[in-house]
Amino acid sequence: MLTRLIVFCAYWIKASVRYQTSKAFFYNLFENPQSRLRSYFDIFMTVLVMGSMFTLIHEVDHGATPLTEALEYFVVGVFVVEYIVRAWLYSDSHKIILERYEKAQYLAIPFSLSQTLAAVMVKKIHYMGSPLALIDLMAILPGYRPLQILRVFFIFRLFKLFRYSNSIKLFADVLASKRFELYTLIIFMGFLLFIASTAIYLFENPRQGGQVGQLFDAFYWAVVTLAAVGYGDITPQTTGGKWVTIALILSGIWVLSFFTSIIVAALQDKLHSLRENKILTELARYDNFVIICGFGRVGQEIARQLFKDGQKFVIIDNDENHVMTAKQRGFLALHNDASQNEVLENAGINHGAAAVLCTTGDDVSNVYIALTCRALNPQIQIVSRVNNNANIKKLYQAGANSVVQPYEIAGMLTAEYVGQPVAFEAIMGILNEEKQTLMATLEVYPDSLLENQKIETLDFKQRKLTLLGVISSNPVHQKRRSRYPVHNQHFYFNPEPDFQLRSGDIVVVLGRQYSIGFLHDQIEKSRLQIKMGRKHCNA
Amino acid sequence: MQRIAVFGDNSFSLEAVSRLDLQRFDVLLVETDPARAEQASAQGYKTRAIDFRNDEALKSVGIGRDVTILFCFYSQDCDNVFLTISARALDKNLKIIAIVENPESAPKLLAAGADKIIDPYQICARKIHELVKKPDLAHLLEQTVFGRSDLNMAEITLPKGTNLENTQVSELKLSERYNLILIGIVNQTMGTELHFALDEKAHELNAGDVLVVLGPAREIKSFKKEVDDVGTD
Repeated sequence: MLTRLIVFCAYWIKASVRYQTSKAFFYNLFENPQSRLRSYFDIFMTVLVMGSMFTLIHEVDHGATPLTEALEYFVVGVFVVEYIVRAWLYSDSHKIILERYEKAQYLAIPFSLSQTLAAVMVKKIHYMGSPLALIDLMAILPGYRPLQILRVFFIFRLFKLFRYSNSIKLFADVLASKRFELYTLIIFMGFLLFIASTAIYLFENPRQGGQVGQLFDAFYWAVVTLAAVGYGDITPQTTGGKWVTIALILSGIWVLSFFTSIIVAALQDKLHSLRENKILTELARYDNFVIICGFGRVGQEIARQLFKDGQKFVIIDNDENHVMTAKQRGFLALHNDASQNEVLENAGINHGAAAVLCTTGDDVSNVYIALTCRALNPQIQIVSRVNNNANIKKLYQAGANSVVQPYEIAGMLTAEYVGQPVAFEAIMGILNEEKQTLMATLEVYPDSLLENQKIETLDFKQRKLTLLGVISSNPVHQKRRSRYPVHNQHFYFNPEPDFQLRSGDIVVVLGRQYSIGFLHDQIEKSRLQIKMGRKHCNA
Repeated sequence: MQRIAVFGDNSFSLEAVSRLDLQRFDVLLVETDPARAEQASAQGYKTRAIDFRNDEALKSVGIGRDVTILFCFYSQDCDNVFLTISARALDKNLKIIAIVENPESAPKLLAAGADKIIDPYQICARKIHELVKKPDLAHLLEQTVFGRSDLNMAEITLPKGTNLENTQVSELKLSERYNLILIGIVNQTMGTELHFALDEKAHELNAGDVLVVLGPAREIKSFKKEVDDVGTD
């Protein structure tokens, strides 16, 4: 009976949307390193811990007041809730139950409730045994007032701060990465201290006229001397003791410098990934950014244009000089290989990136990068440059949406320039947006100013715009003249006056920035008005 | 018929030549490497293999004589600069078009006497930028105006005594009569700058004006015919 009830509950939890959303919310609040919410939470908890420490110090001086006690209860309450929620987040108990239950059903073996619950508990206990969870627990303990001894654990509240700060974690990583060197040094130091303290104990015995009566004093003296602190409360009196001191001081200098160099070298190594992390956290805040793979001639020009537009982008290049150039210009740049899954994932190909541009000078790299990107994200827009005509097909096969050939366009433009210099200037002027006149697209939204309007009633001439045509995939227009296939849709060039615009169509116009902007604003306004109107009706 | 000499040793030359209207231009591909020259001539182009560093060789392909347009398509900027200087010395009126690898070389090429600099990488970058920022427009241009489809942008010069003389731009009504769109006009009396049609409604057409129109090739042809025929009456 109980078994059935528990299994039923597990299924119910699995199906519950509310459960999932609340769990996701707490995950974002506590764990998700990319979430904004978490950084606010970290700040809040840091303030809380500091507050509780100040209350404690205040209590030491002035004794407990009702206010400090209330604060203490609040802090402990928050800690307890956090501890429980973290334990809850750590594993999905209902999944364990269901997995075991379904396995038992499948194999037609009896479902053991006690074993399953044990497995659930093991997971949770595993969490409780983790260092950070232990610190959390210790930080709660001093809240239990009757046991004064628990107050010692107040110090764990300060350790709790580690949880909310990244720099401590970084320092721990630095130490961990140089584990071998540090172990060697510590073992050497241990020997040195052992030898020095034994030697000083032998030479500086009170019977010999020295000051070291105990082995502990000898050890204390050795540490003070080795660390180059030298309080001078115990000083060598005998010649032998002085020689030991000289030897210890010299090796102390050596040990200290070796230790410093290890830490500095490790920090240097980490600095690269630290900077990269900073870039990645900055990227995580954007959406719709562009990943530029390759910061050569083409990549640099694109970056310049995107920067001008205010579009966010990140550059990945494995040439150090290129990355340096990018950084000097103030762009986000990662010195890495863009064909690595991990690099692209870190750069946010699955969170926030809208397009990947493969702009390396090497077709082989471009194909490989395009293929990798397509495998990682089937939806993302991939635009690639290609140098050799023979490779265009390969790039499309690799998953590129568009392929651009520098030589082809330039060759075409040269031919155009020779044949029709005026038309060439017109095209280039419009394309480069050098003249005031530019080409723009306006989308026909449902219920907007343009929907179901005929070209003649819209009177583009009056609006100081030249209508070039309409891009549409709507089969309604199929009978119209001058139809050109364009990328799964059709372009209707110079549509007749009775051409009726449908929602989803895209109007292509040529005109000055103001005229285009004005019409665009009018369309947006008409959309809003209709929406507002609807709301009124509903009300 | 204008003669064009194309110097270069990369795929760029062939690409540009294949786009040229071979009925209007007499194209000569000049290669440094005889093997490559043979390859190009196998594709049906007139080819010569010469050393561009030699002025006599340049003269032998017609520079300083009947070549009116010169393409410098070497992949090294220094080669292009050298060729430009040599050719400019041989012929003051030659139209020299050069590609540039490094943008810093552009002023050098202009100083050497080139008329037009084409930066393939910059154009490529602009195109990619366009594809990202305005994908609809980029695809449209790529498959119509820039593609080999029938929709073209063309310039039409009004001959002397044309019927269209003294016609207002707004009275042309190209979109109704020819299914053409008038993009812009170069006003003969006001220099060589292109004015967009929108801003020039009140302009009166004169002989020598250049109209830039967009439309299907057939329509462009018939409009051109009208413009030219009337002139000969």
